[in-house]
Amino acid sequence: MPEAMRLEVRNLTKVYEGGWGAHEVSFSVPAGQIMALGGPNGSGKSTVLKCVAGLVRHEGAVLVDGDLVDRAPASRAMMGYLPQVVGMPEHATIAEMIQLFADLRGADPSTIPLPAGFLRDPSTDIGTLSGGQRHRVALAIALLGDPSVLLLDEPVASLDEAGRATFWDVLRHLRDERGVTAIVSSPAPGELRGLADRGVGMEDGRITDDELFEAGLHVAPSPSVDQKSEEESA
Amino acid sequence: MSAQTIDGAVAGIPRRVSPLRTIARWEYRNSVRARWVLVMAGIFGVLSIVVTLLAFRTVRELGLAGIGPASATLVNLGVLLPSLMGLLLGAGSVVGAREQGVLPMMAAQPVRRSTIVTGMFAGLTASLWTTLAVGFGAALLVMSGVAKGNDVPAIVTLLAATFGVAMASVSIGVALSTASRTRAQAVAGAVGLWIMLALGVDLALAALAPSVHMGPGGLLAAVLVNPLEACRILALLGTDLRGAALGPFGAYLITTFGVAGTIAILIADLFVWTAAPLLVARWLLPRRDL
Repeated sequence: MPEAMRLEVRNLTKVYEGGWGAHEVSFSVPAGQIMALGGPNGSGKSTVLKCVAGLVRHEGAVLVDGDLVDRAPASRAMMGYLPQVVGMPEHATIAEMIQLFADLRGADPSTIPLPAGFLRDPSTDIGTLSGGQRHRVALAIALLGDPSVLLLDEPVASLDEAGRATFWDVLRHLRDERGVTAIVSSPAPGELRGLADRGVGMEDGRITDDELFEAGLHVAPSPSVDQKSEEESA
Repeated sequence: MSAQTIDGAVAGIPRRVSPLRTIARWEYRNSVRARWVLVMAGIFGVLSIVVTLLAFRTVRELGLAGIGPASATLVNLGVLLPSLMGLLLGAGSVVGAREQGVLPMMAAQPVRRSTIVTGMFAGLTASLWTTLAVGFGAALLVMSGVAKGNDVPAIVTLLAATFGVAMASVSIGVALSTASRTRAQAVAGAVGLWIMLALGVDLALAALAPSVHMGPGGLLAAVLVNPLEACRILALLGTDLRGAALGPFGAYLITTFGVAGTIAILIADLFVWTAAPLLVARWLLPRRDL
């Protein structure tokens, strides 16, 4: 019996003024699985996630459970999206940011599936947070309202080692216990080995490797990239 | 897994707040907290008091009574400053949120982008109205000692015109912001537009008038294409300074449509200048890549 496909992307194409953002990208992710989307900077990972999240116009189709995802609000109710670049007003507090997005989703902010202590004191001003801590807030926002599909654009790029470990545990828990489907982009997808059910590699807007974690084909982990991000955010 | 708690947020029961209200409240709070609006409220309040006191001194020296001259001075303040503030506030809104990264996060939620634009417009308009209320409130306190019952229409008309042009300016600014690629581009466009509306249109018309016969349609169009001119004429209609202060366009409107007709036309004009740019922004944002 074939696996039920939760998320399907068909011939997704996005052209920017400077060239291809994505060129006839197609893949599918079965329900309750995590797909790693690997590739170097500028390879089109973020573009693909933005297209799926409905943030940029594109050609091709995105389907969730067989239904076409269009730009209607209902299509986004089931998705949680974490952008690669996280920006927030300096003078807002963590609690206000989360309450804003909870209200927009009609979600209960007290049910975010993150371990206690993952976020700093909710009354803390965003302006006093480091890049990594702001990323944690954005992660919490992406998890509001129990989305069944998660689109995570380099979710641990700014996190320290403990934060990464915690986040991977959370993602594993969401998949195993709640059946969440996720696409996780990373320039170093090797760190998703053992967690992701499948890996896809991109380059120049195209899928160049759809069996990333098969022997001999995977992209080698490059921790230096993430270490650099952590240093920059600190 | 023990869940992270968000103490400052309203936990337990999901709140069913309309997205429009949520975004409007967020924008209002942000603009007030950014202190920009508070600083402008302070400047506007001080200027209002100063021009009022100066006008009163002149009035007393001339042995006259009433608040007409003070209102006339406030009219220019009420046209120029709120329109500039509205344009700048609006110009920084959509493109600012996009550059900051909040707009893509909002647009990824189950909310229409047209609702996001409208919410931003509503929140910014409310914050600008707060600024104006503080400024005018200070001036009214000063005026309250000499104002008489028959001055009330002048004050009400001035407030209505100023709040109207402020709302229209925010709407135009939001449309500029939605169409711009960068915040700097939007702000430059807003300042350029304000200079054109505050000075450029009048100068151009003055230059053209001797050589071009504008006719009734031209005179009417000259007022309607410039929301600042519409606001100025509307504000002056409430004072006893009509005559020459109205200028040729205002005089033409009064002669042709009467006071009530002119007021209706000018209010409708400010409404169109509010609705049209907002509709453009609501149409445009869903078509932009974020």
